[in-house]
Amino acid sequence: MKKRILSTLICSVACLTPFTINASQQDIHEIDDPYEGFNRVMFKFNDKLDKYILVPAAEGYRAVTTPYGRERVRNFFANLKEPVSAVNQILQGEFKNSGVSLSRFVINSTLGLVGTHDVAGAWGLKREEDGFDETLAKWGVPSGSYLVLPFVGPTTPRAFAGTVADGFISPVYWVSEEYEDGGYAYVAYVGAKAVVDREALLDYTKDLEKNSVDYYTTMKAAYIQNKQKSYNDSSNENTVSYDFEFEEDIEYVE
Amino acid sequence: MKKILASALMGISLCFSTVAKAEIDAAKAENFVKDVTNSGIEDIINANVSQQVKDERFEKLFNKALDLNFIGQFVLGRYWRTATPQQKKDFIAVYRKLNIKTWSARFDEFKGKDFKFIGTTPSNSKNQIFVNSTVDMGEGEPAKVVWRVKQSADNFKIVDIIIENVSLAITARNEYTAFIKNHNGDIDALIANLKEKTK
Repeated sequence: MKKRILSTLICSVACLTPFTINASQQDIHEIDDPYEGFNRVMFKFNDKLDKYILVPAAEGYRAVTTPYGRERVRNFFANLKEPVSAVNQILQGEFKNSGVSLSRFVINSTLGLVGTHDVAGAWGLKREEDGFDETLAKWGVPSGSYLVLPFVGPTTPRAFAGTVADGFISPVYWVSEEYEDGGYAYVAYVGAKAVVDREALLDYTKDLEKNSVDYYTTMKAAYIQNKQKSYNDSSNENTVSYDFEFEEDIEYVE
Repeated sequence: MKKILASALMGISLCFSTVAKAEIDAAKAENFVKDVTNSGIEDIINANVSQQVKDERFEKLFNKALDLNFIGQFVLGRYWRTATPQQKKDFIAVYRKLNIKTWSARFDEFKGKDFKFIGTTPSNSKNQIFVNSTVDMGEGEPAKVVWRVKQSADNFKIVDIIIENVSLAITARNEYTAFIKNHNGDIDALIANLKEKTK
């Protein structure tokens, strides 16, 4: 298992170099997508999985839970990400943030009843989520082109490498390694988290799909913008800035 | 000599950018967005009137607050230049209709919600500014909503809304230009598709 994760990680990082998101090559506002053909096929595949498995599971989960309960579950999963953030913050030289993440993990795991309540947040220790993707960005590794992978969804080579590495750092992975059947527990954790994350996006994606003339492109544009702006502090590569300049005079037609 | 020229040029361009940025009144722009959101919440969401009246009020507010000509022209990208005057007119009309339909349907979600305004950020574009706000949606972290405002004389208009770092204008531009490209440059195909969505 460890070997497989490591080799996937190495392959992903090795794939990074030739690709960059370069919004300036053609229309500066259009996102470069050299693998569009492959990506669209994968997007269709994932969309089927989403419609027939993930969405029904997320809707079922919503039907049997209250907003209060779901908030507790989201907090529980977010708490398990704190050690991952803490490690990445050290790798980024953000020692103060790392201390905050670790304190949050200790406080919320104990006083916050296994992370279900954000006690630390109420004390002013705000969550600052960081992953290996952000770390690579800070180290100057380019994100690579937009990519849609089966089961993974929208990503970039760097973001995918980040996801694999974060999985490797996660305390859930280390605990599951201790037990014989831990692998199943880890898969169950990943599945449950996917359902919880999907539930939070249910209304948003339904609306987006209904109003979109090209759902693939809408998702791509939303993913890249959301990702890139969150690296504002740690990456100096080209971003699709929303401070776009208008190319020509406005022509008013009514 | 070259150095002197370069620094002089840099100085001039800096002066220009400062002037350009200073042309918009930040406080007024923020107040304009505050008024729009307040009016949306008080006169539409919280008003004790029929849905039809609410829809009419929403349409009026939408047309008053947003510069759909500006946004529509931007989202059509390079195809705006090749579009016929009729296509331009049809596109702006259907784009306006679709936006009003989409937003008025979801507007009630802001019931009981409050926008918290957290200052402004300058834009590289002349007469424009970003008004930053957050809105607590009840579950999870508050959503970050940025309003791009354009000023002409004393008139303010919203020209983009950026939700959680995602610009609606840039997203629509990517989506619409991809659709037209995949339909052999046929702008009418896009207009027809959007018309279907407004039904």
